[in-house]
Amino acid sequence: MSIWNYAEYAAWGLSAVFALYMVIDWLKTDSTYSEEVLTSSREGELEAMTEAQGGHHG
Amino acid sequence: MAHYVAPKQGKLSQLFDVIVLMALTFGALYIPMFLGLAGGVKTVPEGAGQTWEAMGQNAAQIAQYNALGFTDPAAVSDIINARYDYSFSVTALVVMIVIIVAYYVLMLKFSETEYREVIAEKFDK
Amino acid sequence: MADFDITSKERDGMGPHGTSVGLLRVLGPAHVWALGVGIVLVGEYMGWNFAVGKGGAYAALVACWFAGILYTCVAMIDSEVTSTVAAAGGQYTQAKHIVGPLMAFNVGLYLVFAYTMLEAANAITAGYLISEVARLSGFEGTLDQRPFIILSIMFLAWLNYRGVLATLTFNLVITAIAFTAIIILFLSTTGIVGTSLMQHADLMSGSAALPYGWIGVLAAMHFGLWYYLGIEGTTQAAEEVRSPARALPFGTLAGIMTLLIAATLTWYVCTGLIPWEYLGDGLNGSVAPLFTAALLTNSQPLVWLLGVGTLFATLASANGCINDASRAWFSLGRDKYLPGWFGAVHPTFRTPYRSIVFLVPIALAFALKAPLDQVVTFSILSGLLNYTFMPLNMIMFRKKWPMGSIIRGYEHPFHPLPSIVLLSLCAITFFAVFLGYGTQLVAMIAFYIVASLWFHFWRYRFVNRASQFTMPWPRPKGY
Repeated sequence: MSIWNYAEYAAWGLSAVFALYMVIDWLKTDSTYSEEVLTSSREGELEAMTEAQGGHHG
Repeated sequence: MAHYVAPKQGKLSQLFDVIVLMALTFGALYIPMFLGLAGGVKTVPEGAGQTWEAMGQNAAQIAQYNALGFTDPAAVSDIINARYDYSFSVTALVVMIVIIVAYYVLMLKFSETEYREVIAEKFDK
Repeated sequence: MADFDITSKERDGMGPHGTSVGLLRVLGPAHVWALGVGIVLVGEYMGWNFAVGKGGAYAALVACWFAGILYTCVAMIDSEVTSTVAAAGGQYTQAKHIVGPLMAFNVGLYLVFAYTMLEAANAITAGYLISEVARLSGFEGTLDQRPFIILSIMFLAWLNYRGVLATLTFNLVITAIAFTAIIILFLSTTGIVGTSLMQHADLMSGSAALPYGWIGVLAAMHFGLWYYLGIEGTTQAAEEVRSPARALPFGTLAGIMTLLIAATLTWYVCTGLIPWEYLGDGLNGSVAPLFTAALLTNSQPLVWLLGVGTLFATLASANGCINDASRAWFSLGRDKYLPGWFGAVHPTFRTPYRSIVFLVPIALAFALKAPLDQVVTFSILSGLLNYTFMPLNMIMFRKKWPMGSIIRGYEHPFHPLPSIVLLSLCAITFFAVFLGYGTQLVAMIAFYIVASLWFHFWRYRFVNRASQFTMPWPRPKGY
């Protein structure tokens, strides 16, 4: 086997590691924090005020 | 103006919306490809020359092909001879112009209606 | 609030109140430059040469400069609007405030499409490049490109997932190296250092000058966009730069200047070394033209330098695309234009992590299954629809909020000339696309029409009306 065959396996392996890292961290984050905290980002500052006046949180 | 309160969307409904959008996306890319309608294909004219001379290559051009590793002209003849066909029908062109203009008009019209609603709700208090 | 000053140093841009976990404001002008140029510079390393195939070498130069004018207009317009509308989502957020929700939804999709397709094209090129290195290093079999395509996307998605500062600092370094590589290749092949290897006169003589005549020049405009496609992505960083009103115009305009130089140098070196038929065939001929040019110099260091440059350029571009596509997707989710689930920000890394992860398999599906020129065309078409929207947006922006009614971070000169020029060049480019890829163009617009109807009649019910309008501006004139 040439070094390039090993490189192919290494690339498959590393891809799996990065993918697993993201998926595991994603699931962990989703189960640790509430949906309200995670999706609390708002675009400008006025929108937050409008929503406060409207009396609901989307 | 009444304050519009958007309904909360359930998880399943969210998932369904994503699936719809993805199906549309992949459809737009793959349907023309599967139907063989995807354009941009170059064709090699029949009976095109296979030698450097017949392909109209001068000394400098031949030297560069040799430097690229093509010493046999037949190996690159398909690349050199292939041409696009730019003939088109006027009907097709008109249809395309109508589609593009109609698309933007539709976009602006619907957007305008929705925009007036947004502005009214925001500034009429 | 009408006198809210976006240029204020104290306010330091827009600070969204009520946000407990938001995107992080950490970037400076250099990062904006790196994001813009990083995405685009790969266009110099691959893809632009399809324009040579479309109309010959001279046609590609004309296309390069006309597209350069088009993008200068884009950069000017973008700088003005985005230095005033400073939020992630870029043109999407602009459209939402200026034209209306449906247009905004479409623009959001243009952005995600253009960047995701470009990302796929980059991954394809990276895979090709590695297989080419394997071949040159004497590898006997055929290298499986798939693991390398997947690895490049996974690695960059991971980097993006982990935080924006590291992502764009990485981009700054590799983009600078890739740009320097072009300059060094130019200096060492054109006789400025050492002997000149240029053979423009011989390679472009006779029928090689304008092989298709003038219609070829028009047709070349299609891929002429590729020299600069993506520079408008600088606006996506708006919510993450420390001082958007200053950094965005500076980064964007410095970016377009860098690209005009890089594009012209690239054209000069490549057409002076590579016969046009081979150069213009980006599938079977010269996939990575600058790399091919380096091979023809017979200089081992240049081959290595441009090989590294090509790889870095593709990675920088894919990296920026992941950043931009995920910001656009995130903004659409945050406003409920798309399911609100996507509007989440990672509490530690402060990135739109769900959007980043979600777009990975989509990019992979395109990278592994579709041919390069189709992917490039879809990216160009989405970009083109976006550029057509920009002048309309600009004209409405100046009409609804005339000069002086709000504080702008940057005001572009000669309005409405840039808008008119941009619109005319877009029309020409539509015709160029029609000449080769009319079916895809129609398929694409059909897609946007169906998606629009879906949005207008179904999806829009989940969107709160007034809260979409987040800028502290007065009521638009005429409404």
